[in-house]
Amino acid sequence: MKKSKNPRRNSSSTLTLRLWEFTGTASLTLFIWIFLIIFLSPLTYMVVTSLRSADEFRERTAPLYPAERLTYVYNGKTYQLYKVPTEDGVVHDWALVKPGLTSSLFIDPAHPENGLIDWKGSWRSLSGVYRFRIYWNNYINIWNAVDYPRFLKNTLFVVILGEIGVLCSSIAVAYGFSRFRIPGGRFLFFLLIATIVIPDSITLVPSFVIFSRVLPWNGTFYPLIVPAFFGSAIYIFLLRQNFRSIPRDLDEAAMLDGAGPLRTLVSIIIPQSIPAIVTVALLHFFNAWNELRMASLYLGTRPDLQTMAFTGQAFTTYGFTPEVLQTSAVLLMAVPLVVLFLSQRFFMQDMVVTGIEK
Amino acid sequence: MFSVKRGLAPRRKSPKPIKHLSLRRYEARVGFLFLLPWLLGFLFFKAVPILAALGFSFTNFKMLEPEKTHFIGLANYANFFHDTVAGSSLFGSISYFLLSVPLEMVVAMALAAIFCSDRLRGKRIMRTLFFMPSIIPAIAIFIIMSGLTDPNTGWINRLLHLSRSTPLYTLFPVILSLWTIGPGFLIMLGAMQAVPKELYEAARVDGAGPINRFFSITLPMSSPAIFFSLVINMISSFGGVALLDRGFSYSQSLSPMESYITYQMFSFMNLGYASALAWIMFIVVMFITVLLFRSARYWVHFPEESSNEEI
Repeated sequence: MKKSKNPRRNSSSTLTLRLWEFTGTASLTLFIWIFLIIFLSPLTYMVVTSLRSADEFRERTAPLYPAERLTYVYNGKTYQLYKVPTEDGVVHDWALVKPGLTSSLFIDPAHPENGLIDWKGSWRSLSGVYRFRIYWNNYINIWNAVDYPRFLKNTLFVVILGEIGVLCSSIAVAYGFSRFRIPGGRFLFFLLIATIVIPDSITLVPSFVIFSRVLPWNGTFYPLIVPAFFGSAIYIFLLRQNFRSIPRDLDEAAMLDGAGPLRTLVSIIIPQSIPAIVTVALLHFFNAWNELRMASLYLGTRPDLQTMAFTGQAFTTYGFTPEVLQTSAVLLMAVPLVVLFLSQRFFMQDMVVTGIEK
Repeated sequence: MFSVKRGLAPRRKSPKPIKHLSLRRYEARVGFLFLLPWLLGFLFFKAVPILAALGFSFTNFKMLEPEKTHFIGLANYANFFHDTVAGSSLFGSISYFLLSVPLEMVVAMALAAIFCSDRLRGKRIMRTLFFMPSIIPAIAIFIIMSGLTDPNTGWINRLLHLSRSTPLYTLFPVILSLWTIGPGFLIMLGAMQAVPKELYEAARVDGAGPINRFFSITLPMSSPAIFFSLVINMISSFGGVALLDRGFSYSQSLSPMESYITYQMFSFMNLGYASALAWIMFIVVMFITVLLFRSARYWVHFPEESSNEEI
């Protein structure tokens, strides 16, 4: 940045400056990347583990990456390879043919014509020979065992209906708060902010009584979808902030053209705030995908209606081995992560913009 | 009718005040109509349940024998003071808030400050990667953490060679709180990037170093965003839903008090006592919220907005 300001600076000091800048950039970037790698290491563990087979897990000496044990076929039988150190200091990859307590018989796959080699020592202290190999069968097995298409269909049903409801109502309410003078409007807005802060547990007992006793909604999708049609306080807040930043001149121009309030909303306000609306839609998508409170309360008796988050919970209650569990976790978060990465530019940019105002 | 105030201001002294009044009334009516969905939702999903919970909390309402329900006064609240599990759950909830929120705030703020630097390369992908864990479902995090801390196959033991007695599960809440920095980080980053560059230039001319500039320009200028993310983090640390929901089921909430309320509710079907506990939790959270909002006037520099607050 400074070199462009001073193009006539002599060359040696430009070089020093450039070197200095490069060092700064490199060290800062490296530091953040290392932090990021540690930050995301649990996810790496999940993915790597889901690509390993159950057999590798039982082996104490297996590496952490997905790998397969190398074997060697000798005289029609399969033997496992071990890393065998010999007296001359070389470590050979030999196949264990006949294990013994103090000495074992090995065969050298590179030179099988030399015959069996007698090695002194305990073969149990040796570590196996592994080769990097990705094991996809966990995914195939889980996909075959669990009816994912149905859970996916249930989840999408809840997500899409809820999305329609929450967008329509939140946009309308935010418009009401941002453009109309209503007696007691400020008090209502204060109430709105207050509901964001109220902890869920306070409404838990009565809403459970309402949804399962007063209304016959236990075992249906209604408790998951219907509340969305009444708007969500935090989305209303975000949209209202955004609508307020749109100049009123546009509304006035539309009004002079004879547009009513609804028309103004649809043709002026909404097109102006598409980024904020998409942000809200994405936020609701992630929330609805992960939603487990309502689902576990009201869908517990209906296995055919359960959502993706529910399958994840079901996996934890049975004693599965690590690799199966991690595979289920990958499947559980795959869709939201893909959506995040597809929408990252839009979403990230607008989260930033929406948050500034308060 | 949107710009009634501005549009009609010169005409206010006109001989037709009734027209003006009816316009205002019309505006209020239409506006009210737009607010209706939220008002109904507020009534049925917030106001009525909260008051109903207050009502339940004075009774011995049990799910299985609703006909025996009768008024027992403050007995449920008195029970709370003898229930050591409830007390320690509330203590756990408050300590989780006190420990996790400052950690989240400091890490997110430091990251946002670093991301403002021109020196950092690959910001776009990094930003998404830092945000990514914030949308991972709670149940998946639970699976990952229990695998990671497994004494035999988990990476923590294999890589760090910790002894098996080390309480690795204590790492779980820490990781979780670090993995929720996403929204706060983005909000603060946005605010810090919006600080006018001239301010920094002026401070540089006055001889302020980078640390000085951060504390006397960046922090005050982005304090509304800091306050906003503080509120968001507080809500989620008490098991609420703010911006992003991880989907904790009630019984596995991070907030021990919430888990205990659910436990009373579903294991004992003890709705009266559960409601009393919920009200105690509600009062505590509201107290903390009011404290936060009160403190805001001392350290948050709101932009000049309140003067034209009238909509």
